[in-house]
Amino acid sequence: MSGENQGGAIVPYSEEAKKPVVYPLRHGLKPPISRLGISWSRGNSLRVTVFRQPSEDSENEVGGKAVEVRLDGRDGEISDAQWRRIAYGSVSPFALLQSRKNSFASLSKISSTTSPFDAEWWEYVLEYSKDISSLLGNQTSTTQSLIEDPKEVLKKDPEPSNLKAAWELMESFYADKLSQAWLPERLVDWLADYDSLFSSTQETVHSKLVDFQKDLVSLQVIEDEPKYWEVMSSALAVGWLDIVVKLLRLHGSYQLDQLGNRETENGLVEAVAVLISKMPRMRPELEAGKLGECFKAKPDFMKAWEKWRAQIAKLECSTFWIQCAHRQTQEGLRNMLQIMLGNTNNLCTLTCHWMELYIAHFLYIRPFTVGLESMYGLAQKCIQLKPMAASHRLMGLLIGILGENIEVVLAECSKGFGPWMVTHAIEVLTAGSHQADTLLHEERDNLGGISMEELHRLVYAQVLSSHPLTWQIAPIYLTSCIKQGMGLLEMLLYKQPVDHNQLLLKNLEICRLYELDSVSSNIMKHGKKGSGVYWLQQARDEARLNRIAQQMFDSVGRSISDENFRQWEGLIQLLGSEPKTAGGLEFLHNYRDFKKSLLQIRDGKTTDAARQAVESLISLMKNPCTPQRFWLPLLHDSLKLLNWEERPLLNVLQTNLLLNKLQELSIARLRPDFIEADLPPHALSSVRLALATNLGRTTLEEQ
Amino acid sequence: MDKAVATLDKGTTCSSWNYCGQRLATGSTDGTLSIFDSPDPSSSSFTCNLKTKVHAGAILKVVWVPPEFGDAVACICSDGSLLLWEEIVEDAQPLQWKLCKSFESTSTQVLDVQFGVSSTSLKLVAAYSDGHVKVYELLDPLILKNWQLQAEFQNAIDSVTMFRKASCISASISWNPQKGENQGSSFVLGFNSDTPQLNSSKVWEFDEAHNRWLPVAELALPEDRSDEVYAVAWALNIGRPYEVIAVATQKGIAIWHVGANPELDGRLSVEKVALLSGHGGEVWQMEWDMSGTTLATTGSDGMVRLWQSNLNGVWDEQAAFQPTA
Repeated sequence: MSGENQGGAIVPYSEEAKKPVVYPLRHGLKPPISRLGISWSRGNSLRVTVFRQPSEDSENEVGGKAVEVRLDGRDGEISDAQWRRIAYGSVSPFALLQSRKNSFASLSKISSTTSPFDAEWWEYVLEYSKDISSLLGNQTSTTQSLIEDPKEVLKKDPEPSNLKAAWELMESFYADKLSQAWLPERLVDWLADYDSLFSSTQETVHSKLVDFQKDLVSLQVIEDEPKYWEVMSSALAVGWLDIVVKLLRLHGSYQLDQLGNRETENGLVEAVAVLISKMPRMRPELEAGKLGECFKAKPDFMKAWEKWRAQIAKLECSTFWIQCAHRQTQEGLRNMLQIMLGNTNNLCTLTCHWMELYIAHFLYIRPFTVGLESMYGLAQKCIQLKPMAASHRLMGLLIGILGENIEVVLAECSKGFGPWMVTHAIEVLTAGSHQADTLLHEERDNLGGISMEELHRLVYAQVLSSHPLTWQIAPIYLTSCIKQGMGLLEMLLYKQPVDHNQLLLKNLEICRLYELDSVSSNIMKHGKKGSGVYWLQQARDEARLNRIAQQMFDSVGRSISDENFRQWEGLIQLLGSEPKTAGGLEFLHNYRDFKKSLLQIRDGKTTDAARQAVESLISLMKNPCTPQRFWLPLLHDSLKLLNWEERPLLNVLQTNLLLNKLQELSIARLRPDFIEADLPPHALSSVRLALATNLGRTTLEEQ
Repeated sequence: MDKAVATLDKGTTCSSWNYCGQRLATGSTDGTLSIFDSPDPSSSSFTCNLKTKVHAGAILKVVWVPPEFGDAVACICSDGSLLLWEEIVEDAQPLQWKLCKSFESTSTQVLDVQFGVSSTSLKLVAAYSDGHVKVYELLDPLILKNWQLQAEFQNAIDSVTMFRKASCISASISWNPQKGENQGSSFVLGFNSDTPQLNSSKVWEFDEAHNRWLPVAELALPEDRSDEVYAVAWALNIGRPYEVIAVATQKGIAIWHVGANPELDGRLSVEKVALLSGHGGEVWQMEWDMSGTTLATTGSDGMVRLWQSNLNGVWDEQAAFQPTA
């Protein structure tokens, strides 16, 4: 397989899949369909609108449907809720690893001795891998009943998932440096955990055991049953030693009443059981309940192995077999010895697919296999001998790993397990292989200048964005994309609905976090006009704020003597939180104060209120922002103040200012574009009279 | 994998989702504008909450106004008129939709309309059946009824010649979707007409200094220039050094790379990187996803197709969807 063809696609498809997959799009409408419309929704969900050709006959028919198509490349193996749990759970391991990577990078700038492939770094990657793995379901915690059922040979494991199986492969081969020395044994464990995943498409040793477990309860003389011996041999071939020994001990010769006359037979059964439990294993340790003797060092292991094989060979040649009267037992046990002696034909018939045969080879034919190259060669051989009934995504991944073809591994991760897998697996992949590190971090022109690592993160972030419950974690991944992450984050935030305050605040929080000021101010402008002012204020959009203030002048101006000014008060307050942002605000503030004082005067006639009203009036008239057309209405409203009975409220200077304004107004009235205020015709003259009177009074007073 | 999110009334001819996919506007043969909403942002089930008769004839196309400018849609009607309807909330009154602007045109029909947001304002481009293009600018960001005609031109590189008797069947406009403070205005436009010079897609850019629109690129090889254009789509750019634009003609869907910076003659460098065939005949619509990497298309073969470029820059169809009952 050349990388050229295989690793090329973003969502890689194998050669034969060059023709795109055609998926049905179910809309439930009666034909004919006249047209389709398409629109991308959040993330990578596509909305397709299907329009029906209207027909004359029926009245209440449906005219079309809008259908949402999710393109996240997920299968149904894991439920939506479970997926979200995984998505949320993987955020902190991912973020932690990124921050550690960053500090490592800054360290290595200082000293050239530190490289990301240091021992310490391995530990971080392994910790990350274990964290991720634990999210995918716990394989080992089986619920054990207090009283062990002797006839329960297979423990009921929690449903194993392909995703978990795939992650464990990645971890064994790339993240866990310590396991490199005993990879074959790790594969033995792996198959023991996940052989059931292949049962849906073909027979497996696991499915044979499951079937036999069902029959077990009804079997009277178990050793007479050929299936008993066959199943045990199969389980032995793939190294499930504990199960085999457990089954062997169900042999009838162990029963107390029979022990006497089947002594030799029982001795042979037990001898085989002991040999099985003593099998030397090239691994540091075994899980509790698993059988075999562990060896860490290869020479010790080889020595023990030779000894063990000699014992088997010796038993095989023993004369006791002649004394064993039970034919099936004799044949069955000797078959099992043949397996342990590595009889290729036996192993081939007793295993169901190449992976099982592969494991059998590691255990009994080539126990000293090391190195990926020889492991890959052996895998090829087994595939030829015992191909799988149907291709399986886990096998594709394993072949890629064994073949040391990073591009295939990436493609299989992406194709078989989706964007979540490939995004998170890249971390262990780059840690485990220099080739992968280079391949994934190289910037590519064809991708618009980004690396494959970044591309996969962007794709995953887009998947997260498709769902209202997961979009919030997309920024974590996007900010780890140095080139295009921010661009996509901006798009993502822009496309979030803003009608809901909580969501909006979350949005703004993200903007603040990542310093996306322009996005946040844009988002804030989306809101409905009611709350708009507040958000515009936040967004510091002076142009719009000034426009709103202008509009308020207009409406306030129209209803200058109306009580409904009250409804504006709140808005003015709001607009006023930062008075400098809008030039017209000062007017609105003064106007509000002016109106308030006037109301107080109407109610209680206090001189203090009147003085305040005058203050407001003067600032209003002084303010260059106050529109000219307001001048007369304002003055007309103030007639009472100008004619204040007790004493003149305006001093000479103030009166002169107002008179000047009035003069200006009279000149302006001559211009054709002048807008007449909606006031009684004598308004101007009564104001002028009042001002003149006031001037007279105040001049007298000041003298 | 697929899920129905809304059911449309009989006679519905067009639809449009708003910026966040939380509102759907549809138009129908009897001139009714329907607005669909969902109760909360996490729900993906939409029901029609409002119907307004906006026109005596049919509505042919609905386009949402960018969200910064409120909740409003532009409707292209069967008589060729263009109407802007806005959602208004008035004190203590239920939400209602009101006509805020009608772009009258006596002899020609509007074929397509699209809004573009620049740092300063909202612009509207309308393509007409006589091959003319009009660019309107919103004068006041708060009032959707005050539009000023900023420019009027024909979709031809040679701006001197006027093509008087052009008759266009359809047009497709796509703004450069880039948002940002310093982003200038540009859009791509192609016609399906009887006048060869108007057809090919051209990229128009606003020249701030001289206050005019200039054609800065033509997205057609010399031999393809008269091809009728069915649809154009400008991809979002989240960090590429070049722009990507898709152009659909009867020859297929062409993917163009357009340079970011003008060359000496003021033109942008263009390169046709792929020609995709799939729909056979007419392409109805093309839409880029939010990362600008996947193109979704639909056309007269009744299929929805998805296209992507692989790591080697080769464009391929990645999946297809066949509507079935």
